Amino acid sequence: MPQLNSVYRHRAADRVLTTVDTYRLSGGYLALEKALGEMTADELLYVFHRSGLRGRGGAGFPMGRKASFLPKDAQLAKYLVCNADESEPGTFKDREIMELNPHQLIEGMVLAGYAIGAERGYIYIRGEYEYQAQILDAAIEAARESGYLGSDIAGSKVDFDLTLYRGAGAYICGEETGLLESLEGKRGQPRLKPPFPAVKGLWASPTLLNNVETLAALPPIVENGPDWYAGMGTEKSPGTKVFSISGHVTKPGNYEVVLGDTTLRELIFDMAGGLREGRSFKACWVGGSSVPVLAEQHLDTPLDYESLQEAGTFLGSGGCIVMDDSGCIVRASLRLASFYRHESCGKCTPCREGTGWMENVLQRMVDGEGRMEDFELMEALFGRIGGKCLCALADGAVAPISSAIRLFRKDFVRVVSEGSPLPQPMSPQLEMSGGRANA
Amino acid sequence: MTAEEIRAHLDPIRDQFAEERSLVLPALKFAQGEKGHLTGDDVTEVAAATNLTPAYVESIASFYDRIYLDPVGKRVVSVCVSLSCMLNGSDELLEHLCSREGVSHEGGTSADGEITVQEAQCLGACDRAPCLQVDAEETMGPVTLSEADAVADRLRAEPQPRPVLR
Repeated sequence: MPQLNSVYRHRAADRVLTTVDTYRLSGGYLALEKALGEMTADELLYVFHRSGLRGRGGAGFPMGRKASFLPKDAQLAKYLVCNADESEPGTFKDREIMELNPHQLIEGMVLAGYAIGAERGYIYIRGEYEYQAQILDAAIEAARESGYLGSDIAGSKVDFDLTLYRGAGAYICGEETGLLESLEGKRGQPRLKPPFPAVKGLWASPTLLNNVETLAALPPIVENGPDWYAGMGTEKSPGTKVFSISGHVTKPGNYEVVLGDTTLRELIFDMAGGLREGRSFKACWVGGSSVPVLAEQHLDTPLDYESLQEAGTFLGSGGCIVMDDSGCIVRASLRLASFYRHESCGKCTPCREGTGWMENVLQRMVDGEGRMEDFELMEALFGRIGGKCLCALADGAVAPISSAIRLFRKDFVRVVSEGSPLPQPMSPQLEMSGGRANA
Repeated sequence: MTAEEIRAHLDPIRDQFAEERSLVLPALKFAQGEKGHLTGDDVTEVAAATNLTPAYVESIASFYDRIYLDPVGKRVVSVCVSLSCMLNGSDELLEHLCSREGVSHEGGTSADGEITVQEAQCLGACDRAPCLQVDAEETMGPVTLSEADAVADRLRAEPQPRPVLR
């Protein structure tokens, strides 16, 4: 059964916590005072490590381990960078934290900054989130006025300050090295790794990069102890995760679940209200759009890193897009292909050219001009794109499409062999809210 | 926008970055706030204010969807067409707005120069699908076709906000 949880304070308090006072009333900034007053940086780092917290941006790398990769004896300044470029289709969990609970992110950043010995942190927020950026601006200013940012934080002699940096519309800037390039005033094109950002990141200095949800999890971990956090979930997937669920469900939104405790079926049918009357489940992209698609036989998979991997997909960012039987898998795959073609930064040829090829082939299938040879062509394309580029965008582009052709081959074959265009997908939302459908 | 004005905007944040180059994106966004897009002269002024070459500044400006190097309407309406929104009717919403504004189905600027309609990739409001965003205001949704009409009417009636945030 799904458990309730309370890692994100606005959820536990069920209210908006945008001011320092409301955040403090919900227990905010106690962890900061405790850590900076009583703990050494190494002790704090150990707490992160022991909690087992994994990066919530998509890759799921253990946060404490990543933080420990920063060289201790570096002469250069160290930096903390928060990835708030949330652009993965289907994902809107970071938006909620920044909108309703910005101080938990700020407090988490002070903790992480202290642990790695950074005196400055950056929050890189996507340009489309200007509304959220203004909330963060105000929260940063208020935190500074209350002595939680700046020099000698809470009388601890620790200095740490934050800069909010606004992007301007580019999915690739959510890739960690693309983000660093953009923050350095360059085109947001990913770097060759290694060196990893922990060694050579922002301005070639040791840099820790974490997602909003990851950093915001730190204050409760410090406050309640790492064993409290590690005690939730499974051994490999400790803690809670916010799933953003959207598409064909009646109650789309963000739902925080204890990992391993809830199945995909429970998330979709119990928490998110299930499908519309008379509809049946068709497909679901559980970790954002860059993961292999799942079908009905996967519905009883528990939501945790290892179970989802066993089912052939990834937990990713937790942006779960659900499609019922009114949707068309070929059209959906085409839409994803178009997204990656648009967002490919153009640096690596296999991705720049390959995403366009995938889009073209899927487009001709949808246009009723597909050929049976296209299946072979697509397979060849997947092999020429995947694993051949600097960053994960290309693999993310291949995953949902190759898996869709594998799982729903019959649908693709039908579309190609019948050679007729598919009907437009239905627009439940427009119908439900009284809009008129276009002929 | 003059280099002087841009410099004055950058001065308070200058010491937050180890290298001056980081100021290019804040400078572009600030300069764009004047007219809603950047002219060739604006690019030159941004270059002067950040000690970079105009060619370099343009290479940065052209990388981002939300930096406009060509004139657009007084208000820009971005309709999200990513998967969650598509499953909830974003294609009809986009088509409706485009035909209402008399622009091609891929988007464009209305003849009176008031409104640009464009496709957007995931705006991060999939729980409100289908959604749209006016300039860089809070994303709204779910938007019905009649609500989209009301938004366009409102934008025509309202003065353009200053600065323009896109």
